[in-house]
Amino acid sequence: MIVPEFEIKDILKKYGLKTPYGKIVESAKEYDGKYPVVLKVSSKTITHKTEAGAVILDIKSPEELDRKIADLSQKFPCEDLYVEEMEPRGVEVIVGLVNDQSIGKVMMLGIGGFYAELIKDVTFKKLPIDKYDAEDMLEELKYSNIFNGYRNLRCNKEILKDLLLKISKLGMEMEFQQMDFNPIFLYEDRYVIIDSKMVIL
Amino acid sequence: MLFNINSALIIGASRDEGKVGNVILRNMKTSFKGNLYIVHPSADEILGIKCYKDIDLLPEIPDLAIISLPPAKTIETLEKLGKKGVKLAVAVSGGFGEKGEEGKLLEKRISEISKSTGIRVIGPNSVGLVIPGIGVNTALTDPSKTVFPKEGRISFISQSGALGLLNIDKYASDGLGFSSFISLGNSADIKEVDALDLLKDDESTKSFSLYLENISDMERFLNISKEISKNKGLVVLKGGLSESGSRATNLHTGSLFKPSYSLKGIFRQHGIIMANNEEELIDASVAISYSKPLKGENIAIITSAGGVGVIASDILEANGFKVPKIREEDAAKLQSYFSPLGSPYNPIDITAEATDDQYLNTMDYLDRLDYIDGVVVFTLFQTYNVTENLVLKIKDKIKNYSKPYVFGYIGGNFSREIYRNMLKNELPVFPNINRTVGALKVLFERGNYLRRFEK
Repeated sequence: MIVPEFEIKDILKKYGLKTPYGKIVESAKEYDGKYPVVLKVSSKTITHKTEAGAVILDIKSPEELDRKIADLSQKFPCEDLYVEEMEPRGVEVIVGLVNDQSIGKVMMLGIGGFYAELIKDVTFKKLPIDKYDAEDMLEELKYSNIFNGYRNLRCNKEILKDLLLKISKLGMEMEFQQMDFNPIFLYEDRYVIIDSKMVIL
Repeated sequence: MLFNINSALIIGASRDEGKVGNVILRNMKTSFKGNLYIVHPSADEILGIKCYKDIDLLPEIPDLAIISLPPAKTIETLEKLGKKGVKLAVAVSGGFGEKGEEGKLLEKRISEISKSTGIRVIGPNSVGLVIPGIGVNTALTDPSKTVFPKEGRISFISQSGALGLLNIDKYASDGLGFSSFISLGNSADIKEVDALDLLKDDESTKSFSLYLENISDMERFLNISKEISKNKGLVVLKGGLSESGSRATNLHTGSLFKPSYSLKGIFRQHGIIMANNEEELIDASVAISYSKPLKGENIAIITSAGGVGVIASDILEANGFKVPKIREEDAAKLQSYFSPLGSPYNPIDITAEATDDQYLNTMDYLDRLDYIDGVVVFTLFQTYNVTENLVLKIKDKIKNYSKPYVFGYIGGNFSREIYRNMLKNELPVFPNINRTVGALKVLFERGNYLRRFEK
């Protein structure tokens, strides 16, 4: 079963993990955050929302938001709609958790975003991880240089390591089959988990 | 249990050369230091070893039993031995699990006998248990066709018997010693984790090399690996990495969670060094056993042949190492040790005029430099004034050096003999540039892992 995104966000909050501000709405006037926003379907069944056309990016005004809400409601009549602040692009990573029958709970770190599965630059550790494992994970990626900054993107390795340790703690305390945090945007002074998915038995 | 074998029994020994029961007997007879017995239904003696008609007639309960009998007979014998109080058996013959369901049931029977009587069983289908220190050698290979190792510091555990014995032959021929070799066979009782458990406190073993296709209990394996790798090397060549991975996954993480991607990082987390082929599997253990962990990436190269230094620099840098320039004040000092035609800057080329002392003085000096983390020395014995005496002098020196050293050579019969001499003297030496750099990579990996235990 897929856990809806807004429910995962509540869990993440408990572990001090940062996600964009957002809420479930039926119209733009219920939303009290900043613009531009992203409108998503909050679903128990759709795993890959972008592919399903269930995400609309870069909505700039309440008027536009209302129009898009109407569009998506028509397309997905049985689903809740979720609005959140759109974050600027950062260095993108994917972090994931799998509960494997033979190894137990494992964590993945990879170069993230749209191309994650294409470039397959990933590394895995068994949970729980310690600070040395977190350090190693960053080093083990082929494109680990990206953490030193790339073009106008900057990020902070310490923040990423700390994030990995927090996700490890969450993974140890929760029951799940799989979790994806993808993408996570990394910035010089913070990070934000843009999208998360969780599958439970 | 494995190192306290003072008496051994062979059941299924044969007079006929070429039969397995004959080869094992000859191998045991040649090397075993304790009492050797045979139980045989009709013979009075074979190859001068007295035979007993029945296990009950033996003058003592043997510490080890080697059983080379067909499957059903093997089971029957194991049960009898177990009840007698024998602690360890090697079951040689095949025809068990690899022959389908019926064979699997026989293997299950072995595991039950082990649990009920306490006898531990290596195999069935084990091509050999070799423990040079006490002369145990149950290998199925004819001694005229293979070289068995002398006592050493590496324990080699293999789920492929043949790959194990072939590799043992190759390295033992070059003078490398082993503390033990275990062919696990079908692992009806003793599995890879059990073997590690039995060997983990063996003081003669400085590093483990494991060839594994199946890991029976991954959690236990990872836990014991973590325990061992604190103090000893643990190198794994994992066969079957291309197999498809986990089940029931539709998220990104799940689809990327395949052994070929996931095991490397997880093994590394538990101090396991992954080898890519059968040569790296043993080379890595040689490096760990005979050298020291490397704590940084700055390498100095000593060579008496310029080209060797140039290629070594390239391969080192391609592997993430640095070959820093030697500072002027140090270069001036180094230059005074060898020919003015040489280069003291790194790679340090002491030229074809090199002597034993020039090698040693250069090594001594480099060991004191704080901007160098490790040293690779190409001991090129073709060099006119370099002699084999250098081997023992190096052995003496590196005991007191603070940095890890590895040695490399390139050459034919003459140099290969000296290479063997170096290996016999437990020097970390490798027969080409690539493998020499590979050894440094292993030492770096080891140093990187051990940083977590430093204060």
